[in-house]
Amino acid sequence: MCRNASYTTVERVIEVRELTKSYGRTVAVDGLSFQVKPGSVTGFLGPNGAGKSTTMRILLGLDAASSGEALINGGRYTGLRRPMYEVGALLDANAVHSGRSAFDHLRCLARSNRIGTRRVAEVLEQVGLAGVARKRVGGFSLGMKQRLGIAAALLGDPGVLMFDEPVNGLDPDGVRWIRELMRSLAAEGRTVLVSSHLMSEMELTADRLVIIGRGRLIADTSVRELADRFRRGVTVRSPRSADLTAALAAAGATVDTTPSGALSVQGLAVDEIGDLAAARGIPLYEVTPHSATLEEAYMELTSDSVDYRAEKSIAR
Amino acid sequence: MTKDVFAAEWLKLRSVRSTYITLAVPIAFLAMAAMLALYAANMWDGLTPEDRDHFGLSSLSTLNADVTGVCLAILGVLVVTGEYRTGMIRTTLTAVPRRGSLLLAKAAVVGAVALPAGLAVTFGTFFTVKLIIGDRPIRGQPSSVVAELPELLSRGAAVTVYALLGLGLGLILRSTAGAIVSVFMLWYVMPLMAANLPAPWNERVGSFMLGGLPDQVIGGDNENSIFGSVLPPPIALLVLLAYAALPLAAAATLLNRRDA
Amino acid sequence: MTDVLFSEWLKLRSARSTQWILATVAGFVTLCAVWSFYIARYWDGLSPERQAKLQAAPAEHPLVLTLPLCMAVLGVLAITSEYATGLMRSSLAAVPRRGVLFAAKAASVGGVASATGLLSVGVAFGLGRLIVGDRAITDFRTPVSEELPWLLSLGLSAAVVALVGLGLGTALRSTAGAVTGLCVLLFVLPGLAPLLPAPWDERFAAILPSNLAEQIAGDAADPVLGPVPALLILLAYAVTALAAGLVVLKRRDS
Repeated sequence: MCRNASYTTVERVIEVRELTKSYGRTVAVDGLSFQVKPGSVTGFLGPNGAGKSTTMRILLGLDAASSGEALINGGRYTGLRRPMYEVGALLDANAVHSGRSAFDHLRCLARSNRIGTRRVAEVLEQVGLAGVARKRVGGFSLGMKQRLGIAAALLGDPGVLMFDEPVNGLDPDGVRWIRELMRSLAAEGRTVLVSSHLMSEMELTADRLVIIGRGRLIADTSVRELADRFRRGVTVRSPRSADLTAALAAAGATVDTTPSGALSVQGLAVDEIGDLAAARGIPLYEVTPHSATLEEAYMELTSDSVDYRAEKSIAR
Repeated sequence: MTKDVFAAEWLKLRSVRSTYITLAVPIAFLAMAAMLALYAANMWDGLTPEDRDHFGLSSLSTLNADVTGVCLAILGVLVVTGEYRTGMIRTTLTAVPRRGSLLLAKAAVVGAVALPAGLAVTFGTFFTVKLIIGDRPIRGQPSSVVAELPELLSRGAAVTVYALLGLGLGLILRSTAGAIVSVFMLWYVMPLMAANLPAPWNERVGSFMLGGLPDQVIGGDNENSIFGSVLPPPIALLVLLAYAALPLAAAATLLNRRDA
Repeated sequence: MTDVLFSEWLKLRSARSTQWILATVAGFVTLCAVWSFYIARYWDGLSPERQAKLQAAPAEHPLVLTLPLCMAVLGVLAITSEYATGLMRSSLAAVPRRGVLFAAKAASVGGVASATGLLSVGVAFGLGRLIVGDRAITDFRTPVSEELPWLLSLGLSAAVVALVGLGLGTALRSTAGAVTGLCVLLFVLPGLAPLLPAPWDERFAAILPSNLAEQIAGDAADPVLGPVPALLILLAYAVTALAAGLVVLKRRDS
């Protein structure tokens, strides 16, 4: 559990303000502004090259911003005295020395922030690596290295957690484990920022989404709102389709007939359709509202920002 | 805070194989020196007095001090380039965002290993050879520990400079091959090139070379070597320290300015 | 085979480290020119008796020590950078016959190193002669035909050292280990030779790569080896190192 249950307005908040980073003439991050608050999992999404990793590196003081601010707990990361107690991050699971054991690797990190070996054993237990703690990291699979990286992030029991593509290389069991871990960390009142390009996974994990493309903010919203924004209409089945179509059209809706004989109605809510049908005595066999899948919503939002898109495959 | 970073860096050094390999080499060299001394002593015993005058064995403790210096310079290089090569440097900088503290801790750890290692190996080689050769007045061999004490101390301690030089070069170049090559250039190639300069420049420039400084620090004259002895002891000491301080200063600036 | 050769050549050519190494060699060639210029000016300022007695290191001298070092690093990095980046696995997947892959690497490294060696030595020498012009400085006046064997063997030994680097790098799979090993071979061992009891000190010194070049050219003062044995020993270095590398490459997992 977290040590501090109560917090001031700025504590555990990640804030990015007009952040800009350019490498020569390439602008990786362009006037980006968003906030990440505690208590929920925030997904950081965008196509490849959108600037997610760059933003995270700037937040962690690894790279310097060209202009703008990147603050955690109201201040810069580089000003923190024992940063591991406040922020835990997993950036690259492969960034380990292959000759060391998992235990030694964590021990070195922990020692730099005066975290003891008991805690090292605890986090190894928590991520399921206690059995291989004394084995060389070089022999680990990618999934095991990811778990090791997560263990490193958890060492200081921090209030803010940042994960860059944590599910890469995990099997379905591992993916589910991480999802549950992140949700439980958020439920404990921590701030969890997860960057990913796997929309389907984000749908299940995140409560809020920050979507960026080409270094710019595209959307900063909750998962629900995003789905609602891209509603696709209502599917209606009825034995008296023709009558229903006329009635709905008269009420101002757009009605299309699908090949299967069902009607796709846009412009009227579910209850309005039901009331209309009831008033005319038309039986309804199905009334199903559709939101776009999050994936469709995401694709539509970022379609302009995708730098590297594969052509549709040409089957020969 | 700094004590914690130092402890973490110390743990890092201890848990990597390359540390033990670089420390094993001077020890292997010591064993070799012992065998050589044994051979020389045996040969000496069988020589006539005139032949004995021509027979010489150069100071093995001096040689091993050099070897240890280069080995520890490589250790200094690897302490840094190992992190850059694996990408671990980002994790380290996330745990220790104060880059000045990190550099200080790395330098302290490397120095803390280099100084005792340099002294131990230099004195160890000296005593081992002395034990084997005993009282035989072989030409080129030092006479007594008391007479040799300043030189042994100076050369042994100078190993620390080599190690810190390696650390600095590793941080500046961020490349294992580049830094190791630079160490050998500074240690070996530059003095040989300086020796080709016409007098008096060969002596003057040679005096500034790394290998020639420990002797000048104790007021020696670097006889029988390509190094000069133009510098008075205090200046020689300053130049020796500069070999470590200047690269480290440059490294600190670069470390602070560069992205991880 | 030609495809693999071509791809290895492209790999070598496009690596950043190769550009750095070649730039360093070019820098040392410039140093050779600067040296020649300095010697010429220095000579001009001397009295005639001292002019006649001046012994100066020849124009290509700065390269004698540095060229082998640079080429050694070229050879080492050609292989260890692939292991470090994990590229080795893709390469072996593309070319599963490891002997073929290795031979192609050796050929491209050897080719680049020979070309660099001969070119740099030739240019340094030529610039030296050009700069010194008519001045009667010893070592700058010997006829080109006499110098040719020396220059050729310098270039050749640079190529051999590159191949030793490739072999050692493959066998050890460690940049630090291979570079250090080569530096020891080129720099430390010559310093240890005098320690050995005679006649082993001379014999040991004679077989070291740094001393073979002049014996091949027949220029050495007191040669222990004739030109042909020296050449064979030099080639033996390359063959041994490459064989060791090939054995390791074939036997171990990628």
